[in-house]
Amino acid sequence: MKILLIEDEEALRDSIITYFTEEGNICETAEDYTSALTKINLYNYDCVVLDLTLPDGDGMEILRNLKNLHKNDGVLIISARHSLDDKLSGLNLGADDYLVKPFHLSELKARVTAIVRRKSFDGNNLIVFREISIDGLAMKTMVNQNTVNLTKKEYDLLIYFIANQNKVITKSALAEHLWGDEIDLSDHFDFIYTHIKNLRKKLVEAGCGDYIKSMYGVGYKFGA
Amino acid sequence: MKLARKYNRVNLVTSLIILVLSGAVYYFAIHYILTNKLDNDLKIEEEEIVASALKYDKLPLPSDFKDQKVTYSELKPGDSTERYFANTVYNNPDEKETEPGRSLVTTIRAGGKDYSVTITKSSLEAEDLIRLIFLITLGVIIVLLVTLAVINRFVLSNLWRPFYETLKQLKAFNLADKNDFTLQHTQIDEFLELDQSVISMSRRVRQDYKELKSFTDNASHEMMTPLAVINSKLDTLIQTEALSDRQGELIEDVYLAVNRLTRLNQSLLLLAKIENNLIKDEENVILDTLITQKLRQFNELLAASNIHLIQKMEPQRLYMSKYLADIMLNNLISNAIRHNKPNGEIKVLLHSGKLSVVNTGVEKALNSQRAFERFYKDASSEGTGLGLAITSQICNLYNFKLDYHYQGEQHEFSITF
Repeated sequence: MKILLIEDEEALRDSIITYFTEEGNICETAEDYTSALTKINLYNYDCVVLDLTLPDGDGMEILRNLKNLHKNDGVLIISARHSLDDKLSGLNLGADDYLVKPFHLSELKARVTAIVRRKSFDGNNLIVFREISIDGLAMKTMVNQNTVNLTKKEYDLLIYFIANQNKVITKSALAEHLWGDEIDLSDHFDFIYTHIKNLRKKLVEAGCGDYIKSMYGVGYKFGA
Repeated sequence: MKLARKYNRVNLVTSLIILVLSGAVYYFAIHYILTNKLDNDLKIEEEEIVASALKYDKLPLPSDFKDQKVTYSELKPGDSTERYFANTVYNNPDEKETEPGRSLVTTIRAGGKDYSVTITKSSLEAEDLIRLIFLITLGVIIVLLVTLAVINRFVLSNLWRPFYETLKQLKAFNLADKNDFTLQHTQIDEFLELDQSVISMSRRVRQDYKELKSFTDNASHEMMTPLAVINSKLDTLIQTEALSDRQGELIEDVYLAVNRLTRLNQSLLLLAKIENNLIKDEENVILDTLITQKLRQFNELLAASNIHLIQKMEPQRLYMSKYLADIMLNNLISNAIRHNKPNGEIKVLLHSGKLSVVNTGVEKALNSQRAFERFYKDASSEGTGLGLAITSQICNLYNFKLDYHYQGEQHEFSITF
C-alpha cells in the first residue's frame, strides 16, 4: 500500500517509516503544511497519516483540501490533542480514524491496514494469511476451508496479528487494543496470555501452523 | 450585625442620651428661673407690707389678690424669727382647689408686737409653663429620633447599595467564569475606589490563573510528543533480532514507565479541561445501562481476582457529558477492583439518586479528608493518584456529592445526584 505520512517530528517520522516500509509498502513523508499540500495535490495515496499540529499550518486544513479535491485517500489523524472536539470535527470532515499520541506503532499499522482494506475492498473484504482466511464482513475465520469459532477478542487479536505480521508486538499494545485505553491493565497482562493461548490452541487444532511466538518479557510475534 | 444597623443603634442611643440630658438641664434651668421670679414677686410684696407697717404702725389688712394670699400670726416669745422661702400649697378660693404654691415667711414688728407674715403665691402658671416646655422637648425628641431612623434606613441603605452590589459580585466570582465585574454607578469616592480595586484585582488574578492553566495544558501537550517518540523508538527497538531475555525485561520496565507517564499526563490534561469547563457535550445519560456496560467490560478483571459482584440498580438518568460519566464510572469501579483483595466483594448499588460502590480491601479506612486530593495514594497503589481527584472534579462540575465511608471493613464511595 501507498502511504503519505505528514508529521513534523523527525524522530517519530523515522520510526513510523521504518515500521511501515519493511514490508514493501511505499511510504512517503511530508514534514510541513506546504509540502504536504503539494503531495496530496500531485499524487494519490491509499492512506494519509496526518498530524494535526504542524509548524506552518493546521492539519485540519489539509484534510479540508483533500476532501475538496474529491480524492478517495483514507485519512488517519494522529494528534497529541486528546480532545473530543478535535476528534469529532476531524471525523466529520471525513477522516477515517483518529489516534492519540503517544501510540504503539503496531496500533497505527493495524488501523492504517483496516482503513486501506475498507477503502479498497471490492465486494469481498477478505484477509488472507497463508492457510487462514478471514471474511471481514461476516467476521468468519477459516483455516483450510474449515470454520474456526473465535470469540470477539480472539478475532480482534488475529486481525491485529495479521496486520502486524513478523513484528514484535508488546503486551501493553495488545491490551490497549483489546480493552481500550480507559482501563489500565498494566498490572493484569495475564489476560492477554489467556486469550492468546486460546487463539493459538483453536488455530492449531484446526490444522493451522503455529504462527504465534512468545518473546520473553516483551510480547508476541506473529509470522511464518 | 450590619454596619447600618450598628451605626443606627449607636446614633439613636447617643441622641437619646443627649436629648434626655439636655431636657433635664432645660427643666431645672427653667424651674430655677421661674422660682426666682416668684421669689422676687414675694419679696416686693414683703417690702410693701413692711413699708405699710412702718408707716401706720399696724399690719395692713390681710388682703387677697388674685393668686396671692397674706396671713399673719402673732409670734410667741421663743418662736423662730427666721426668714425663709418654702414650697407650699395654695388654696385657690375661686376654683376651690389646691394648687402648688410658693410662700415667703417673714417677721414684722407692728404696734409693739412681733408678727409672723406668710405671703403665698400660686405657682400654677409656672408649673404649667414647665410642663408645656417638657412636652415640647419630648415631642422634639420623638420627631428627631423618628427622622434619624428614617434617614438611616432609606438614605443609608441607598448609599451602601453599590457596596452590596460589589459584594454580591465578589461572592459570585468564579475564576473559570468569563463574566467580568460591572462597574457600579455611584458618586461616592470610596465605593468607586473599591470597585476599581476589585476589578483590577480580578483581572490580575484571572490573568495569573490563565497562565497557570495554559502552562499545565501546554506542558502536558508538549510532553506527549517526546513520549510518542520514546514509545515508537521502543517499538522499533524490539523488532531487532537478537534481544536477550534480560534486555526484554529491561524494555518491558521502560514500557511500563512510559505507559504510566502517559496516563499521568492524560489525567492532568483531563483535570485541566474539566476545571476550565471545556467539556461541553452534555446529553441524557442512562446511568444504569452505562454501569451495566462498564461492569461487563470489567468482567474478566473481576473473574481473575475471583471477586464477587453484587449489583442492584434502579433506572437513573443524568444530564452530563457521557465521556465524563464514563471516566467517573471507570475510576470508581477500577479502584474498587484494584484495591480489593482476592475472593473479595464489590457492591454496586444505584437507588433513589445515589450511586454507591462498596468494596472489601485493606482493613483500614482511607484518610477521608485527603482521599480526593491530587496525588494522594497509598504506597502500594500502582495508579496515578489522580483518579479520585478527577472523579471529585467531575462531581463538582455537575454539583454531585461525592462521599467516602469506611464501615464494617468495607470501603464505600457514594455519589449523590
